[in-house]
Amino acid sequence: MVRRFVPLLLSLVALPTFAADTLKLAITGPFTGGSAPMGASMRDGARLAISEINNAGGVQVGASKMKIEVIERDDEAKNERGALIAQEMASMPGLSGVIGSVNTGVVLAGDRHLQEKGITKIITPAAGSASMTQWVGKAPELSIFRFAAHDGIQAAMVVEEAIKRKFTKVAIFHDATNYGVSGRDDLQREIKKQGDKLQVVATEKFNIGDKDMTAQLLRAKSGGAEAILIWAIGPELAAVANGKTKMGLTAPLIGGWTLSMSNFIDNAGKNGNGALMPQTFIEEPITPKAKAFIDAYHKAYGVNRIPSAVSAAQGYDAVYIFAAAVKQAGSADTHKIKGALEDLKEPVQGVIATWKHPYAKWDNKDVETHEAFRRDHCVMGMVQDGKVVFAHDEDKQRLAALAKGP
Amino acid sequence: MTLSIFAQLVVSGALIGLVYALIAYGFQLTFATSKSINFGQGELVMVSAFFSLTLITVGLPYWLVIPCGLLFGAALGLFVERAAVRLALQQKSEGWILLTIILGLFFFSLAENIWGRDDRPFPTPISQTAIQILGVDVTPVELSVAVGVFAIMGLIEVFKRQTLVGKAFEAVSADPDAGELMGISATHTVMLSYALSGIVAALAGILVSPITTVGPTMASALILKAFSVAVVAGLESGFGVVIVGMFLGALEGVASFALGSGWREVPGLILLILALAVRPTGIFGKAIIRKV
Amino acid sequence: MWKRLLLIRGAELLMFAVLAAIPVAVQNSYALGLLTLLAIYGILLIGLDVTVGYLGQVNLAQAAFLGLGAYTAALCVTKLGSLMLVATLAAIVVCTILGALLALPSLRLEGPQFALATLSFTALTVIVLNELEWLTGGAQGLSLTRPPILGHALTAREFYWLCVALLALVWVAMRNLLASQWGRAFEALRDSPIATDAMGVGTYRHKVAAFALGSALGGLAGALYAFNFQYLQPQAFTYELTVILLLGVVLGGRKSLWGAFVGASLVALLPNLLSNRLLFEVISAAGFALALFAGIRGLFRKTLGPFQAIAPIVATGVLVFGGLLVSNTEDWRKAIFSLMLFSVVVGLPEGLMGFASKFLSRLFRIPEAPRPAPSPLDRALPARSVGKGGPMLELRDLKRYFGGVKAVDGVTTTVRAGEIHGLIGPNGSGKSTLVNVVSGLYTPTAGEMLLHGHPLPRGSLYKTAQDGVARTFQNLQLFTGMTAIENVMVALNGVYKRSRSLPLVLLGLGRVEEKRAEADALALLEFVGLGDQARTPAKDLTYGAQRFLEIARAIARKPEVLILDEPAAGLSHPDMHRQMELIERVHQRGVTILIIEHHMDVISELCDTVTVLDGGKLIAEGSPDEVKRHPKVVEAYLGEVDVGEKPAAPAAR
Repeated sequence: MVRRFVPLLLSLVALPTFAADTLKLAITGPFTGGSAPMGASMRDGARLAISEINNAGGVQVGASKMKIEVIERDDEAKNERGALIAQEMASMPGLSGVIGSVNTGVVLAGDRHLQEKGITKIITPAAGSASMTQWVGKAPELSIFRFAAHDGIQAAMVVEEAIKRKFTKVAIFHDATNYGVSGRDDLQREIKKQGDKLQVVATEKFNIGDKDMTAQLLRAKSGGAEAILIWAIGPELAAVANGKTKMGLTAPLIGGWTLSMSNFIDNAGKNGNGALMPQTFIEEPITPKAKAFIDAYHKAYGVNRIPSAVSAAQGYDAVYIFAAAVKQAGSADTHKIKGALEDLKEPVQGVIATWKHPYAKWDNKDVETHEAFRRDHCVMGMVQDGKVVFAHDEDKQRLAALAKGP
Repeated sequence: MTLSIFAQLVVSGALIGLVYALIAYGFQLTFATSKSINFGQGELVMVSAFFSLTLITVGLPYWLVIPCGLLFGAALGLFVERAAVRLALQQKSEGWILLTIILGLFFFSLAENIWGRDDRPFPTPISQTAIQILGVDVTPVELSVAVGVFAIMGLIEVFKRQTLVGKAFEAVSADPDAGELMGISATHTVMLSYALSGIVAALAGILVSPITTVGPTMASALILKAFSVAVVAGLESGFGVVIVGMFLGALEGVASFALGSGWREVPGLILLILALAVRPTGIFGKAIIRKV
Repeated sequence: MWKRLLLIRGAELLMFAVLAAIPVAVQNSYALGLLTLLAIYGILLIGLDVTVGYLGQVNLAQAAFLGLGAYTAALCVTKLGSLMLVATLAAIVVCTILGALLALPSLRLEGPQFALATLSFTALTVIVLNELEWLTGGAQGLSLTRPPILGHALTAREFYWLCVALLALVWVAMRNLLASQWGRAFEALRDSPIATDAMGVGTYRHKVAAFALGSALGGLAGALYAFNFQYLQPQAFTYELTVILLLGVVLGGRKSLWGAFVGASLVALLPNLLSNRLLFEVISAAGFALALFAGIRGLFRKTLGPFQAIAPIVATGVLVFGGLLVSNTEDWRKAIFSLMLFSVVVGLPEGLMGFASKFLSRLFRIPEAPRPAPSPLDRALPARSVGKGGPMLELRDLKRYFGGVKAVDGVTTTVRAGEIHGLIGPNGSGKSTLVNVVSGLYTPTAGEMLLHGHPLPRGSLYKTAQDGVARTFQNLQLFTGMTAIENVMVALNGVYKRSRSLPLVLLGLGRVEEKRAEADALALLEFVGLGDQARTPAKDLTYGAQRFLEIARAIARKPEVLILDEPAAGLSHPDMHRQMELIERVHQRGVTILIIEHHMDVISELCDTVTVLDGGKLIAEGSPDEVKRHPKVVEAYLGEVDVGEKPAAPAAR
């Protein structure tokens, strides 16, 4: 007691003390704020997986099983918070790994503290590609992994969808954060790559918290935009959808996966119908495992719709992948876990897919070595009457087949 | 920018500007009796809006929600007066600046936790489909803002000018001690002004929420603009706030189109700083003569 | 004397020693990060305290300066490749300039309008930082790597020591500043800007200086902030942060370096305090106990009103019990902070440090600093030889209208050198207005004012005071927050040479002048009979003593002309007589006096010449006897005299 009291007095810092026989796993993300549906769903999906594992006795570490102990930290989508949390985790004794993060800025501000100490982190459900490309050419060894659809994949799918629907004039809307700006860049690059078939009549920017999109929409309308390609998050997406309806602009919204967030769907109401976005997981029971997961989530959290199904599913699968790495490493040491992650031998049965060797040894020039998702894993979703459904039926069959595995 | 776009921006902006004017009017009411204003007025707007939202969610009809929300606003206003303002007035200090800021922070945290941190849509029976008036799209909801603002301001102005209690406002502001000697309780008059200010804030919240959604951060977005309007118009200017409010709203709308939405607030802020520099008592205010 | 020095300086040395030693004892990078933040916030809050504590204004711009300093330093490093020294200096310079620029519009403002101007500045800053994407990276943020200093790349620990060292430097410099004439001028500004100008201490330059100083420190803190986090975003520097900073200063205690430090600790460490449930409960319980104790004691001793005693108890009570009820204290962070602040602002207006220092000084029985010996009077108020009879102050057809009201309507008169000149007239006759015009409070509508044949400055209290005109006020304009001797020290003329220079004062080179100023001021206090109340706060003096203090303050200007505006108003008879003696003694030192009075015997006894005003016009002038019998004067005071009645001789009082 005295030994603990002295550092407490001196530094007035609260360091949680741990029991020695659990596996410490930190879960971090925005549990409050505009990105909260993603962060909270990821956390809840992860917790579901963790309680399943703990109910079966825990993770296999060598000869015995260890229960997973969760340390939650809310970064509020704020970069300073992210930095402080990362510092705290980097100093935490016995931490085996971190799962989480949604906002690119938070990752850019904080992850280097984890990388410095070699703490293993799986970024999920999101954070833009910049969170991984920041390490290209800089780190010979990397303890950061990403478990989310590549932004490049998303942009490609959005542009493809617009071309498929025979649009010729589009407007690009984006928010002023890293996410929005890199989304815009990705879209512009993809349009060129796919043969310049789309004419961009307006490129409009807005800030987080903006409610009035009249100016941007007026410009899109007067340019004759047939679709709006949009990269933003929930509340602002809703503002665009509502403003669009108000001025009688029927061009649909096609954009980043954030269009599946509950705070967009709820705030836009029927103005949100028809919005299209890439998804790695749609809340439909297309396979037995998916059904089991959806039912378990509904039951555990008392909801009949997952606020962000993608986030929940990714959080869930990330935990299982992490547990598999722990089992293979036979240790709770974060460095050994990283080694195992880079060379997972056993496939992991997830909700999204069956993961076979998702990661490889970090190659300084190839970011894909620490990225798990490929184009195959993604489909187009559509908002309809308060839910996200498959936009194309053929995707439904394909995903079902992918999830079955060998 | 074509004329029709310009007209659209001006009209939509001016209608929102009326909300700023309404909140600014609330400042005037309390300034009139006590030379004090509630720096946490934005939080008052926000909490009243949330309260009204809750009433709607539990099923109360919209037309009943309005008077209940206004009463709630009045209660909050009285609370602010008692907790944050009265002591400073008694000490003839300006401690109410800090205390109302603190109270605002408290309300913010309360709202965050009771109603959550996300923005929520505010249902209204008034139609949200745009109608065309002279080539400009306006929704009936936006028009209701104008109706509400003018109605409440008109009512209160009539009250102030025609009733004895209203005249007491002026007396107490000019010289509370003399007022007391004449049998006007300064404290009660100040209380009344804060209750009225709370009512006005609650109405502002109810009127604007269908357009902007309700959320804890709506307070800070509105408050600086309301301050600007109050100061530029002058804290004793009465209807001057309406003109300045509409001007500021229109200015923001045009600025957001012409300069980009990130810069929309800048003309208003620069206007505020200039107005403070050149005419601190406001365009419509009266000059102050120092007496020693 | 040594005991006092030891205790106060010793405490400071101890604190800095502990701060420096912590990272050696505790190897924890997280704790180090927090402590570095603490040091940075310490510098920031000391800067904020200058406007909030000393000027007494609600300043909502400090977060903006933190941000501007941070971005300036970061841009120097990323775009210009500067090293730490240059980048930091750039940050300080940029913020000082912007602070001075912000002071310009806010000059004319008080209270809420000032707060609004600073608030707008903060909002503007965030917008500019956010929108100038090509420069600052906008919402995506700006990354930088900490540059080396003098060729040496700093480890985290070494950077921390650098921050602590800078904090110590700032501490010492500010202590020197605030204990000097500058500090007094700041406080005077807060208590009475009018009197500050009238005593020849320019409100303008001191307000701008105070602001610029606060923003310079903000810039320094900003640079360190950038080097610490190595990643900046505009959203970090908003209104929310500025309110927290403000509240930190208030909670810690205004007008106090320790207070700023305590406030900074709270702001930096609060999030952590809250995530540890046990610690939070302990602290809130302690706060509740303190509020109970202070409240009940205040009620019993009748030093506190019921609201002041009970409200903090209620607020801390809510804190304690609310804390037990809620599941996650972190979510309620702002509510907790606001409850703590409310309790402190209402119950402990001096802040935690103010309360603690009174408590501690009683505990340790720190003796007061010794009083110097008063200077000889000749040094404080040199006797002038004044050729009697020559014109000193001439007014020619002076007019001052307020719209339709002709307060002063064409007054022509001369105050002769070395005389005591009375100015009387019924209420509303324009006496005070006349004197206000002469002293520079109002600009004349028309007419001329000459001093020694040279035109007097018009409409500027400050310039007129600089020319050698001093005054007292009909409604006392004392610097109520300061002691009697400080009131006089502020006004002293010709004593502060080195102290006028900010850099010299910061280095502590103004001390000699301080001692002399104290001695001179004491001499003047003894001259007016208040020598034994030198250290009494001005607001605690009796009304009579306050009137005498105003006179002492005015003559500290070593004026040629002294204007007394109803100095005897409300005085008891004995005090009135003592005052008349005092005025005569001042007169004997060669000061020309213009005195407005209602008491006829004062006028009769003291004055050589009397001017009578009525309705803004001069109706009579002459010796007191002549004037008393003048029919127009009688009519003005007593009303029209019917023809056929002999005017009764005014009753001697």
